[in-house]
Amino acid sequence: MTKEKVILESLRIKEFGAIVGVAIFLVMFSLLSNRFLTAENLFNTLTMAAELGIISIGVAMLIISGEFDLSVGSVFAVAPMVFATMINANLNPYFSLLAALLVCVGIGVVNGTVTLKTGIPSFITTLGMMMFWRGILLAVTGGFPIILSRRVDMLQYLGGRVVGGLRYSAIWFLILAFVFWIVLEKTRFGNWVFATGGNPGAARALGISTDRVKLTNFIFSSVLAGFSGLTTFARFRLVDPTFGQELELEAIASAVMGGTLLTGGYGSVVGASIGAFMISMVRNGLVLAGAPAYWYRAFIGVILIVAAVINARIRKKVAG
Amino acid sequence: MSYLVEMKNIWKSFGRVVALKGVDFAVGHTEVVGLLGDNGAGKSTLVKVLVGYYQPDKGEIYFEGRPVKFNSPRDAREHGIETVYQDLALVNLMPLWRNFFLGREIVRGFGPFRYLDKKKMRKIAREALSDIGISVRSVDDTVAFLSGGERQAVAIARAYHFGAKLLILDEPTAALSVGETKRVLEHILEAKKRGISVVLISHNIYHVYEVADRLVILERGEKIGDYKREEVTPKQVMELIAAAAGVK
Repeated sequence: MTKEKVILESLRIKEFGAIVGVAIFLVMFSLLSNRFLTAENLFNTLTMAAELGIISIGVAMLIISGEFDLSVGSVFAVAPMVFATMINANLNPYFSLLAALLVCVGIGVVNGTVTLKTGIPSFITTLGMMMFWRGILLAVTGGFPIILSRRVDMLQYLGGRVVGGLRYSAIWFLILAFVFWIVLEKTRFGNWVFATGGNPGAARALGISTDRVKLTNFIFSSVLAGFSGLTTFARFRLVDPTFGQELELEAIASAVMGGTLLTGGYGSVVGASIGAFMISMVRNGLVLAGAPAYWYRAFIGVILIVAAVINARIRKKVAG
Repeated sequence: MSYLVEMKNIWKSFGRVVALKGVDFAVGHTEVVGLLGDNGAGKSTLVKVLVGYYQPDKGEIYFEGRPVKFNSPRDAREHGIETVYQDLALVNLMPLWRNFFLGREIVRGFGPFRYLDKKKMRKIAREALSDIGISVRSVDDTVAFLSGGERQAVAIARAYHFGAKLLILDEPTAALSVGETKRVLEHILEAKKRGISVVLISHNIYHVYEVADRLVILERGEKIGDYKREEVTPKQVMELIAAAAGVK
């Protein structure tokens, strides 16, 4: 292979930009702090990335099919709130978990149905749902956190420690990233997701039910956000009504850093996962490097814009 | 004479606008029919009724002699009617092979473990494209890199591969260069040679005239002309369209 061909083939990997980004920060933070590049710290980073990463997977799927979900941050808090309330009412933990996830399915169905039936942008539908559920959370709890009142063994497998800084949430994150990678890249449904976001008219003309594809992704997005909230709850054993605020924007940032096109039709769940990992790594690396915690957001903001510009260039080159 | 497709007395209205007023339209076996008319004449509506995109208010459709009722374009495709829309044929950001099989992907395995058979789809797409005479660097390239004519060709190759009996082309030569137009017209004649009937919707009488066996002219939802190619000259057809438009 010629040199140009090697470059072109590498750029064809949709996660290329994100992988390079991670490599650069890995080197940079390793030089800034000798505590950064240790197994312990990397496990920690992965665990911290899991919370955002699991959400980003669903958000990326939905963006690729051409829709947004801004309600994920609120759903992230609703699921553990439902779960904790049921546990505290002495209900069966497995039943409570199922109920919490079913509530998320319901929210996804509402997001999707309202958007698709009325034709208003999902940006608006899910913004409304984000406010609605946050309001409900605050109203129901009076602003106070709900603390788990009894021991629930199951939680160990949601967000408990595996070894050192590695928690089960990180394992779930990796499993879900793998599963959704398969779904998006290797199944018929995945092919339809790309087509639905890329050219909905063409997809419909070829017999694909774009509404069904989108509705499915609204549900995925909501359920993954709720599941992520549950793994986080398993770590803290309490849920605050302000849980997960602004996570919806960080999830979109992760997806964009991972090469997903905001207007749909192009992207990667693995990229979004790497994007989430990058955000977590920067947060962790800056702290270890001794930078004041406030700098983290400013830094992420710059990275987001730079990543978006680079990804757009790469995409122009390989995908037109 | 038996027809491949016969539409009889088709009526279709949208609210108070009557788009089709009892149109009869037929396509013979291995016949190329040019469908002509001004903007808003009802060409697209007629075709969309044919492929099940719209349901007619009144009228019958026969395909291969049997009455049919297509509930969706997918339905029509299963019967062998392929439509290539100008902007709705392909998805730009997707690789060629994914486009080629969109909606009809080949899978391996069973139940929830059905994966795309990428190797097979790439191979078939590559062969089908070279068969129709377009050489692409790689079927992993996205459609965005193709020219307008190549896109039409990909869509036509796809129709061949899936065994189309009737190919409907919606303004295939709009926005194409002279050379590319020529190639698309050649593809149409090639399709005919392979035993496929073609409906060619176009504004451009000269393009249609080059390949069509028959010319059907619509104006304001009515059929105002139906000629064998030998019976008319392009000039006469244009005058007919202009005259009908002038009557308004």
